[in-house]
Amino acid sequence: MPVLVKDQQIVADPWQLLESIPDYVPDNAIVPINQLSNTNANGAWVEGDLEVDDFGEELAKLDLVAVHFPMFADGRGLSLGSLLRSRYGFEGELRAIGEVQPDLTPFMHRCGFDAFVLENELAAKTAIQCMASMSDFYQGSVIQPEPAYRRKHSH
Amino acid sequence: MYQYDDFDRNFLKERVAQFRDQTDRFLAGEIPDDVFQQLRLRNGLYIQRLAPMLRIAVPYGTLNAEQLRKLASISRDYDKGYGHLSTRQNMQLNWPELAEVPDILAELADVNMHAIQTSGSCVRNVTTDQFAGVAADEQIDARPYAEMLRQWSTYHPEFEWLPRKFKIALNGAASDRAAIAVHDIGIQLQVDENGRTTFDVYVGGGLGRTPAIGALIRENLPEKHLLTYVEAILRVYNRYGRRDNKYKARIKILVKAMTPEVFGEKVDAEWDLIKDNPQELTRDEIDRIVACFEPPDYPAVADATSALASKRLEDPAFSRWVQQNVAEHKQPNYAIVTLSTKATGIPPGDVTDVQMDAVADWSETFGFGEIRISHEQNFVLPDVPQHQLFELFELARAEGLASANQGLLTDVICCPGGDYCSLANAKSIPVAEEILQRFDDYDYLHDLGPLDLNISGCMNACGHHHVGHIGILGVDKRGDEFYQISLGGNATNDASLGKIIGPSFSRNEVVGVIERLLDVYVDYRAEGETFLSCYRRVGMDPFKERVYLEQPESQSYARAG
Ligand code: HEM
Ligand code: SF4
Repeated sequence: MPVLVKDQQIVADPWQLLESIPDYVPDNAIVPINQLSNTNANGAWVEGDLEVDDFGEELAKLDLVAVHFPMFADGRGLSLGSLLRSRYGFEGELRAIGEVQPDLTPFMHRCGFDAFVLENELAAKTAIQCMASMSDFYQGSVIQPEPAYRRKHSH
Repeated sequence: MYQYDDFDRNFLKERVAQFRDQTDRFLAGEIPDDVFQQLRLRNGLYIQRLAPMLRIAVPYGTLNAEQLRKLASISRDYDKGYGHLSTRQNMQLNWPELAEVPDILAELADVNMHAIQTSGSCVRNVTTDQFAGVAADEQIDARPYAEMLRQWSTYHPEFEWLPRKFKIALNGAASDRAAIAVHDIGIQLQVDENGRTTFDVYVGGGLGRTPAIGALIRENLPEKHLLTYVEAILRVYNRYGRRDNKYKARIKILVKAMTPEVFGEKVDAEWDLIKDNPQELTRDEIDRIVACFEPPDYPAVADATSALASKRLEDPAFSRWVQQNVAEHKQPNYAIVTLSTKATGIPPGDVTDVQMDAVADWSETFGFGEIRISHEQNFVLPDVPQHQLFELFELARAEGLASANQGLLTDVICCPGGDYCSLANAKSIPVAEEILQRFDDYDYLHDLGPLDLNISGCMNACGHHHVGHIGILGVDKRGDEFYQISLGGNATNDASLGKIIGPSFSRNEVVGVIERLLDVYVDYRAEGETFLSCYRRVGMDPFKERVYLEQPESQSYARAG
């Protein structure tokens, strides 16, 4: 059973991911991005290689964007997440779906993802631990734009 | 050297603990093989033909005596008493136990060392001139900028899962000892007319299956923009680099497909949007890092010119060594010494724990406790007083580290090849050994002058064969080990890729072929002309004729294709 981690906690998932569009689209639907204009949905899911320059503004208005990671080591979704947050000002829930391995969540988290769908409860718990395993980093990120040196050496 | 503070130390400690946890979870069956593979690679751990291999980072090839002693003791305690200096200035251990790797990493962390990002599809160890900071022909020391890039790229949230590995090299001297033209990003540093440090940025160089010379996409980039500009390049690469085929995933393929002009425009468009972000380097930060690399206070030492000259007359072996392995220092009466690992009977780059300890001791006796590793797989002592050269020479000779062949034919760059590597088409170390054995007459080697001979066991090109003046590549022909020879490659200024001379040769032909190539050079060279410039002037034909014409007819079937 997939388990949702949101803001470092295991929570029930109020959303419903739709692979395609049924006749009736519920309020809590996450629809494929190409169906967005046909519905009133407030959530959309996209692939990591989405051309964000074409869709960023539209996505930024939603309550939820889910980014699909097709395989474990595919980092395109990380750039996409970073850009949605830092360039398009997206403030809703940024959710990682697909091949979300616990050891990848620290990277996703720092690129602005705040929700993760893990394979099962063990993976979800491990992910929460993984995200806490490092206390600080050299370079800035979406969640901490200042690099470490600006915080420790500046006055 | 860069001085670790509490932040750096804590970061390393947490990274080691993280890897220990990953290893434990893997051994408990919680992490699938393919996932753990990627995780261990990002800590330098490969599983090779015979055993795991751990690649330890030596950032831009600089380490201190304490660190080298630690490498010696680790290779003694956890390995077979030797290590291997790699062509990316790192140290590799060939026989560690998987379960012990977290302990090795913890020991390394005690001396501010690690194996972070020495493999995997991420930004690798940033490399530079092994003479940085001391070379007489240097305009600016590249190490501080390499360190800024190291910090910025370490555990980067967005760029740890790139399409493929990513290598950055910097050079701040007139002569390019860092091979910047064959890196994913190559950076040439210079000081402009107003005294400001700026960078010329090249992208898309590389070796491997599709060798390419990097294209210049930005000139005179002011230093504060170093990280944001590299960020823009990596973002374009991360988003658009191919992931469907690992042989087409390096940035060089993307740059070629887009053309360097369009790629450069795309980078500029991205950079425009991010260049003022907080990654822009502050003056304070640049000054802080540069200060770590300030030259030591060189005690005044006496001029040793005449003593040195008479010692050289007395001892021809010493004289050759001085000529080949001692380079000019910025500081009067000091010298830069290359301690060659290329001795007959030993795989190029291999060093024993005893040698490591000895080099660490010498770095203190004859310098300020600093050691470099060169991409030609040698040790370098950067600050040797000239009056102590002879003393050092005798010690080095006793340890087998005084081959007077730096930059000569027998200073072979060679990959591990078929003896260790599962991807090899052919062995490479025995070929290097045959060459070292055949050409052991110093007078002949000195007469030939500068000559880069590079050997790779397959087209992955770990031995940089494309950029050898003479390159040797192992190829597989119906299950037999054959060797393809190329001429005219060059890794330094005015870089070029070698051209294949013709059909390949069997193992027992190789040394004879090299001999003929050298004969052609000796016959054709003009006064003072090196092998490379002679080849560039006369072209391939004279070499080709000599090599193929005189071969017995009956062997030609073996060389078809
Ligand atoms: C022991 C087994 C080894 C294996 C299986 C191995 C494997 C590979 C592979 C697959 C590549 C090609 C990457 C690509 O397509 O871009 C490569 C590149 C490279 N390897 Fe190795 N390698 C080994 C050992 C070494 C060692 C010991 C060194 C250093 C002496 C080394 C230095 C390099 C370098 C410098 C490149 C980069 C060439 C480039 O710029 O593209 N390798 N290696
Ligand atoms: S060049 Fe080929 S044979 Fe040599 S180490 Fe690299 S992959 Fe192995």
